[in-house]
Amino acid sequence: MMTEIQTETTEVQTTRGKVYVIDRGQTRLRAGQGLLTGLEVVFRHFRDALTRKLEKPSQQTGVFTVQYPEERLKLPEAFRNFPILLYDDETGQELCTSCFQCQRICPPQVIHMTQARDPATGKPVPAVAEFLIEYDACMSCGLCAEVCPFDAIKMDHEFEYSTDVHGGLTLNKEALNRPISYYEKIAPTFWAEVKDSAMKKLQGNMKRRPDLIGVAPQMVEKIRAKRAEAAAQAPAPAPATTEAAPADKAARLAAARARAAEKAVEAAPEPATDSAPTDKAARLAAIRAANAAKKSEGAAEAAAPATDSAPADKAARLAAIRAANAAKKAAAQRDGSEE
Amino acid sequence: MTDILRSWIGSALPDWLIVLIAYLLVTTIVLFYAVGNFIMMVWAERRVVARMQDRLGPNRVGPAGLLQPIADAVKMFTKEDIVPRNADRWVHLLAPIVALAPVAMMLAVIPWGRGWEPIDLNVALLYMVAVSAVSGVGLMMAGWGSNNKFALLGAMRAVAQLVSYEIPAVTALLTVVILAGGMSLLDLPYMQAGVPIMGATILCGDPAGCSPLLYSTITSFPGSPSEPVQALDLGLGWWVFTPVGLLGFLVFFIAALAEGERTPFDIPEADSEIVAGYMTEYSGMKFATFYIAQYILNFALSALAATAFLGGWQGPGVAALANMGGPWVHVAAALSAFYLLAKIWILFFVMIWLRGAFPRLRVDQLMDFAWKLLLPLALVNIMSASLVVGLTQWTSAQWGGLVNLDGFAPWQRQLIAVLVTAVINIAATYWILSINQRPKQVEWDEEELVVAP
Repeated sequence: MMTEIQTETTEVQTTRGKVYVIDRGQTRLRAGQGLLTGLEVVFRHFRDALTRKLEKPSQQTGVFTVQYPEERLKLPEAFRNFPILLYDDETGQELCTSCFQCQRICPPQVIHMTQARDPATGKPVPAVAEFLIEYDACMSCGLCAEVCPFDAIKMDHEFEYSTDVHGGLTLNKEALNRPISYYEKIAPTFWAEVKDSAMKKLQGNMKRRPDLIGVAPQMVEKIRAKRAEAAAQAPAPAPATTEAAPADKAARLAAARARAAEKAVEAAPEPATDSAPTDKAARLAAIRAANAAKKSEGAAEAAAPATDSAPADKAARLAAIRAANAAKKAAAQRDGSEE
Repeated sequence: MTDILRSWIGSALPDWLIVLIAYLLVTTIVLFYAVGNFIMMVWAERRVVARMQDRLGPNRVGPAGLLQPIADAVKMFTKEDIVPRNADRWVHLLAPIVALAPVAMMLAVIPWGRGWEPIDLNVALLYMVAVSAVSGVGLMMAGWGSNNKFALLGAMRAVAQLVSYEIPAVTALLTVVILAGGMSLLDLPYMQAGVPIMGATILCGDPAGCSPLLYSTITSFPGSPSEPVQALDLGLGWWVFTPVGLLGFLVFFIAALAEGERTPFDIPEADSEIVAGYMTEYSGMKFATFYIAQYILNFALSALAATAFLGGWQGPGVAALANMGGPWVHVAAALSAFYLLAKIWILFFVMIWLRGAFPRLRVDQLMDFAWKLLLPLALVNIMSASLVVGLTQWTSAQWGGLVNLDGFAPWQRQLIAVLVTAVINIAATYWILSINQRPKQVEWDEEELVVAP
């Protein structure tokens, strides 16, 4: 009754794809044979289900249960659940430019965003200040991801969102942000298709974003540290001897001061009627930064014969420029508030 | 049990009290045994059917899902007991009890092991059949009392099925009665000692040289003279190995499936047609009671089939251990109880297997099957059984000189009986199957069908 030869299916490759041909055994059965054949088939399933799992589609028998929380099926790349926002791993810059396309197309209208503005000029910047998606009402249609011209919004594979906290399903920008590397992991071919154009557009947009605007919130600290480090490491090459060090330090100090000033400006309440103190502080910082820059320039000159001081020089200059910017910004703000 | 208690506390208590206590103890043990088996059967059925369908089945509660029945029981206990507004309250309440009680009573006469029988009843087979029929009343009460058309339909189907399948079942059991010459279930396993096909007919030539491990004293076997003889006993002389027993077993087992409402005969509770049949309006523990009744009925019918045809507790080694005497008798009893349990579980596995393989029959197919196939086969089998008794036990005078087998040895007579009945049974089975075959489709000549203008 039981044959050792497994009635395994054979795979046949046709022009239109793979076809599984199943051997069903005898087609014509005599009286009562059908009953026995049925019993034999069921017993074969029983026996094989005790010993093996169903692994390939050509297999006819074996346990096909996937014990979900412990075992998981590999999700296809095109699987989509809820949208996420992407940011660049390196610079922390978000790909979103707040063009409002996704907000417009969203059928259940669960996407909300505000555009970032340059605090200095008050003009809109191609970056998003805050981004909200109500996951609880999202219908996972994926239109937002399709319409996005900057490939900034993509559909995630994460689907275990059950919760008893209803409000927890409204996610802000920080919660929505994912590095590009994450998306590349879950959908490698999809990202490869759009990678070049997306990164090119991002480069263009980054130029129009002043300072840390458009940097993913969770990356701000890191990027700040990175920039400071970059500024600090600028004169790094060669034996940076003792002379180079002070210059280096001075430059870093200048940069830090300039940034502090900038922050102060940023922190200043926009409709500030009395902007004088911050203003003053900014100006003070600018002066200090300039001094520091000058000093560091002197130091750099002093160090020049010893090493190639150009980078240090550059750092100092950068600090100066920043300080100037900060001053300008403060001035603009003051003007604005005075008006 | 009574004797053990008598020897322990015989002087302290009056005898009637000891008997009462003994029977209460035995009843408790048997009921616990049955319910324990019920719990394991529910678990096993779910697991085995799951494997047959390439699934895993319940495997989360406890090791391998073994505690699942406990979780289910807790669920059943905490469920609301709903009685429909227009239901007959008392009938609705009593129905599960009336369904369960006779099933539990069936357990009283089954010999669970060598020397382990709750009651020695000389009409045990009749008692089994009669009592199991009572549970049909419970089903009818459930259907009627629920005041629900599905329940009533289910009950009608259940009763119709029970009544019509009792006939082949009883007729198949009649062969056992003829072979055993009595209705006591207690004697059946003893009669099925010996070796396959030949039974206990291979006698010991030299009474002194026969090892008690292989030969045991048989008081009565088909064809034996009345005095005890020493016969080769491997504990395998089950009647299922003879043509008469095989056919009887098949007919009885199929009828038992129908009586126990197992797939493919689960018409009374066909959930795809009539919700859950007579159990439609039941919930909580009342539903659980029906459920228990059904499984214990299956358990009891499996035990009956095993006892009647598969040798009951008879198996290799039981007789040898019993012959060694002393404490080994208890070991033999335990081994024999294990054999019976194993047979019950194998039969239960076959029930699950059939459930996994076959779809449900239609009502008319069910009736056709019982009346046109099983009953004629069972009747033929009665004739064969009578022939076996005649060929193995009757003297020439009893035959009226028609057949003279007096000069033959018991094993020769047994062989003749087996051959004759094999021919009869195979021929009858083939003939009855062929006359029951679906008539051939008439092939129309297409040109003839064209109506002339």
